[in-house]
Amino acid sequence: MKYADLAVPSRALHLWRYTPWARIHPTSVDAVPEAMPIRFSLIEGGAELVDGAPRILDGDDIARVFLSELGSSATTVQPDGSSEVVHLQAVASGHVAVGHLHLDFTRDTVVVLHLSGEADWTGLHITGAVAANTRSAFGLVNELSSNGKLLHCEDWTIERDAFLELAGLSIGGFRCKSDLRTRFLNPGGRLNQAISVHGSGQRHVDHHVEIYHDVPHTDSSLNVHAACDDSSHSITTGLLTIAENANHCDAGQVFKNLLLSEKARAEAIPELEVLADEVAAAHGAASAPVDPDQLHYLMSRGLDEESAVALLIEGFMQAGFSSLKHDALVDEMRTRLTVHLECELKR
Amino acid sequence: MGEEILRVENLHVSVEGTPILNGMNLVIHRGEIHVIMGRNGAGKSTLASVVMGHPAYEITQGSIHYMGTDLQEMDVFERARAGMFLSFQYPAVIPGVKVGTFLKKSVQAVRNEEVKGREFRKELNEAMASLEMQKSVTNRYVNDGFSGGEKKRLEILQMLLLKPHLALLDETDSGLDIDALRIVSRGINAIAPNAGCLIITHYQRLLDHVKPHFVHVMIDGAIVQSGGPELAHKLESEGYEWLDAPKEA
Repeated sequence: MKYADLAVPSRALHLWRYTPWARIHPTSVDAVPEAMPIRFSLIEGGAELVDGAPRILDGDDIARVFLSELGSSATTVQPDGSSEVVHLQAVASGHVAVGHLHLDFTRDTVVVLHLSGEADWTGLHITGAVAANTRSAFGLVNELSSNGKLLHCEDWTIERDAFLELAGLSIGGFRCKSDLRTRFLNPGGRLNQAISVHGSGQRHVDHHVEIYHDVPHTDSSLNVHAACDDSSHSITTGLLTIAENANHCDAGQVFKNLLLSEKARAEAIPELEVLADEVAAAHGAASAPVDPDQLHYLMSRGLDEESAVALLIEGFMQAGFSSLKHDALVDEMRTRLTVHLECELKR
Repeated sequence: MGEEILRVENLHVSVEGTPILNGMNLVIHRGEIHVIMGRNGAGKSTLASVVMGHPAYEITQGSIHYMGTDLQEMDVFERARAGMFLSFQYPAVIPGVKVGTFLKKSVQAVRNEEVKGREFRKELNEAMASLEMQKSVTNRYVNDGFSGGEKKRLEILQMLLLKPHLALLDETDSGLDIDALRIVSRGINAIAPNAGCLIITHYQRLLDHVKPHFVHVMIDGAIVQSGGPELAHKLESEGYEWLDAPKEA
């Protein structure tokens, strides 16, 4: 399917309700503009970066088709297992930047991708395959400039008895749309996914997360924490699918929003599609302002209101990562979050 | 007699229009341990909360002075920085904020100085050892998943680090086993000689470990009886009925 053949998706669709295609497209919806390739580089750790990547397209999904047509350059990361953590950098520059990064997890590894740059519009497609019986983790730190747009897709497959942890820290970009999908290919797989979002100014952050339990004996957990200040807007929609006969799956989604101003908005819409009988599936969502009892407690220990609220925001976002088991991944995400929040406070 | 730390005069307090305290009077000097006992709903915890400045409570009459300063002019954090401390009956759970981070920020705020990491760790380790707390507590989130006893120990740990002039202890002994009660009492006794202490409790057993100078009984938002430690023993054996106003025939 070509982009020109695809219709603009309807806002009636779950996926496009809150960030319509026209609002995340870099120009006018009919166009496929010229794009600069995102520069991927190795900052630290043992891995080889090679040109090219498997072409993974999800049928007629407009975002993936569009990203594919924007740029043909792709990079595959092959961790060599010589270090616990691999740090990668992705720099987006120019008017429109696009890149495809593929992660080939054949051994236990943690990879953290630091996304930065001044591009007006960034398109990032991440694909990953987790080999059988491995424990891997991937973290994305979105530190794009505050006036850029981001269209971001991820497609992961998890093999038999493999454990994958995915972490996302969204602190950059003005308007961000992420469409993250994971599919279990064989029994015994586990997915642990955590996302923390910080909204300030007029930032608009839309996460759509799909997890497909196509096979039995697979577990998944999704935790999303969004702290929204000023007139920012965070949206999280989830689609958890457990296929017919995919019995003995255990899946859960929890979305929490912390609203820090009267104009801040947050939507949290988990959705379950369970076709098997012998499964455990749960979801929950909550949005609330700062807890006055928590605030009073911190202030009774000498913190002024501004410092107390800042600590509560940091704690709320840090807690988003508390379900992750890879300490190296958690440490990195938390460090980047702390640095970000300290910079925000100094403004 | 030490310097005057707290003076509560004719204090009337309401919550959402409902009167809770009705003419409360109390004076605490440095070095004194005061105990307030009373039935549930008598207003004991309200007194502690309003002294610490909880925004839900409205002072409708009377005054509270702390070391000569009218407390109504001070925000909650200013009270803490001035040396006031409340050990909460139900301390807030704060997920995502590690105990170690929280303690350091609190100590820095109250002392109004940058606390050096090594010196703070040494001081923290000593305080934790005195309360028989494991060092790993500092890596846990504040009160998140803590047992009742662990929460109360963390409150006392904060008190030891903040070295207050006035310590308000709201049912710090409730839910503690015998060993934990002994350990928490040790913390209170460590701070008491240099501070004014107000202990709110339902049980005489705490007073086996902490020797009060004064015991007060609150009924319907006011102190109706004051005495020495023997009053706590009498309450333990006879209850509160003998203090109730006689009903009209």
